[in-house]
Amino acid sequence: MGEPLLRVSNLQLYYSTLRGLVRSVDLVSFEVGNLETLAIVGESGSGKSSTAHAIIRILPRNVAVLNGSIVFDGVEINKLGEEEFRRRVRVGGISMVFQGAMNSLNPVMRVGDQVAEPLVVNKGMPKPEALKKAVEALRFVGLDESVSRRYPHELSGGMKQRVMIAMSLVLKPRLIILDEPTSALDVITQANIMNLLKRLKTELGFTYIFITHDLGLASELADKVAVMYAGKIVEYGSIEQVYTEPKHPYTRLLIESVPTLRLDREPVFIPGAPPDLIDPPKGCRFHPRCPYAIKGKCDTEEPPMFRDGGQAAACWLLEEGKT
Amino acid sequence: MSEKPLVLTENLEVYFPVRKLFGTAGFVRAVDNVDLEIFRGETLALVGESGSGKTTLGKALIALVKPTGGKIYFDGQDVTSMSETELKTLRRRFGVIFQDPYSSINPGYTVYRAVEEPLVVNKIGSKSERKERVFKALRDVKLDPPELFAYKYPHMLSGGQRQRVAIARALISNPEFIVADEPVTMLDASIRVELLLLLREIQQKYGSTMLYITHDMATAKYFSDRIAVMYAGKLVELGPTRKVLSNPSHPYTKALVEAIPDPDPRNRLVVRKVISGEPPSLVSPPAGCRFHPRCPAFMPGVCDYREPKMYKVNGGVRAACFLYGGMQA
Repeated sequence: MGEPLLRVSNLQLYYSTLRGLVRSVDLVSFEVGNLETLAIVGESGSGKSSTAHAIIRILPRNVAVLNGSIVFDGVEINKLGEEEFRRRVRVGGISMVFQGAMNSLNPVMRVGDQVAEPLVVNKGMPKPEALKKAVEALRFVGLDESVSRRYPHELSGGMKQRVMIAMSLVLKPRLIILDEPTSALDVITQANIMNLLKRLKTELGFTYIFITHDLGLASELADKVAVMYAGKIVEYGSIEQVYTEPKHPYTRLLIESVPTLRLDREPVFIPGAPPDLIDPPKGCRFHPRCPYAIKGKCDTEEPPMFRDGGQAAACWLLEEGKT
Repeated sequence: MSEKPLVLTENLEVYFPVRKLFGTAGFVRAVDNVDLEIFRGETLALVGESGSGKTTLGKALIALVKPTGGKIYFDGQDVTSMSETELKTLRRRFGVIFQDPYSSINPGYTVYRAVEEPLVVNKIGSKSERKERVFKALRDVKLDPPELFAYKYPHMLSGGQRQRVAIARALISNPEFIVADEPVTMLDASIRVELLLLLREIQQKYGSTMLYITHDMATAKYFSDRIAVMYAGKLVELGPTRKVLSNPSHPYTKALVEAIPDPDPRNRLVVRKVISGEPPSLVSPPAGCRFHPRCPAFMPGVCDYREPKMYKVNGGVRAACFLYGGMQA
């Protein structure tokens, strides 16, 4: 495949709060190849959204530490100046679709104008032409032309999410980050949006980073998956490998803890709660909840990623092939 | 499960007026003509999309919203004709758990005060008796030892712990009927099951009856005996949970079940068959069956013309669809 489209290495993102330093993203590394979909799966507070925010540099003011390298399309973008970053990344580089589509649209602006806006502002396209492109994009995501003249409050949740997706498409980005694009939607609407994303991927060849807390949903779209826990990637591999043969105890328990409709499997749960990222546990951050924790090892030394073919997991059980 | 239902509704209607500048412009038919029964000791799951009326129905059953028509019977008594004083006494027999543990607990109350509140309001027990009951309730929800949690404030607790406090508060008055409205939706995947197992354990221990409102069919499968499916204010299917979910009768239930993602990477990128469209407006719902504009089994001249009743399918399942009866009438 050659050079990946995006390579993130040792990304660190800490926030400063009154209580102390929150280690939201701690030495995270991954790659996304061209035309590939990477799912980042984790619970709330695991750092999956923060990772995305760091990539496209939409960060709150209380960032204390931002380290690591982000190479996009062969360029180190973490060191770029604001203007350079805007031209190279935000315009036609990386787009993002946010979770709460309901809150991401401007309520007093017609939908068509909003979708056209990036073209006018960033590309200096004349407005009528931009509007034409916007209508095209809306049609592409399954919305009627008349939608472009409506206001967001006239649309349903699913339609708004389609508008958001259309908006992310108009600049023809190389990479689209989808941050829980269907979490706020009902099941049927969710399935419709997932179908749309699948269609865009297979027909137009998009590269996605798909952020979700739902491994089942991830398995519908992703080629590769990175499982995050408490600011770290604990497992990484192809979706087939990770889903059918999870190597990290957390991944396995996470899969088993989600009740399934079609399989009959008494659901289990992971005792305890994710740790406080101000003072995360020593060693492996999952050890206090892990049924296989090795005393004197997991609670003192941080496990590195142990590789096995294309799959890797940060767990001491995998050292010297122990399972 | 005994024969006589603990909760029974007949033609239950809850309409909300839509106000204009002068007078009323119409009604939102949040719950329309619902016949439902809940048996003692069972858990009934109430599923549907947002806006289908499931929360309103749940609130009506525990007398938190007043029905605009029809009847509700609780333990044989007609709730709809009760006075406000009688309702107040009756509400002691109900417990309720809301979706959002971040807003359902007063941030200025300690855990102890939040859980004790129902006893204080209803003037139950002396101070020391109440303390005993609060501690017991905290132990029941595994906030153990209770002394450690009782004097904390909600902001010091995690989402899961807050929801446990909400459960303890709902259970402290030993309610016979508990309405749990999306009790785990706001929580993380890894702790949802833990709380649902806890609810089930407590329910079995005290023999209470539960209405589990959710949009998650998968958890309904594991944590309910029977299931009721709502669409646009109407009940469309009712029956034993596993039967309904493994072999849905109503086309809407079918669509709902089919829309749930398969956690199987082999089906990756397969475009799923999904019905299009959106649920209708509840102010002016479609004539006939409310699902007919989206229904793959739509029969012109029938479904858009008459409203289906609940017809018996088999194995205790009822469905509001002309595929199962009513064609000759």
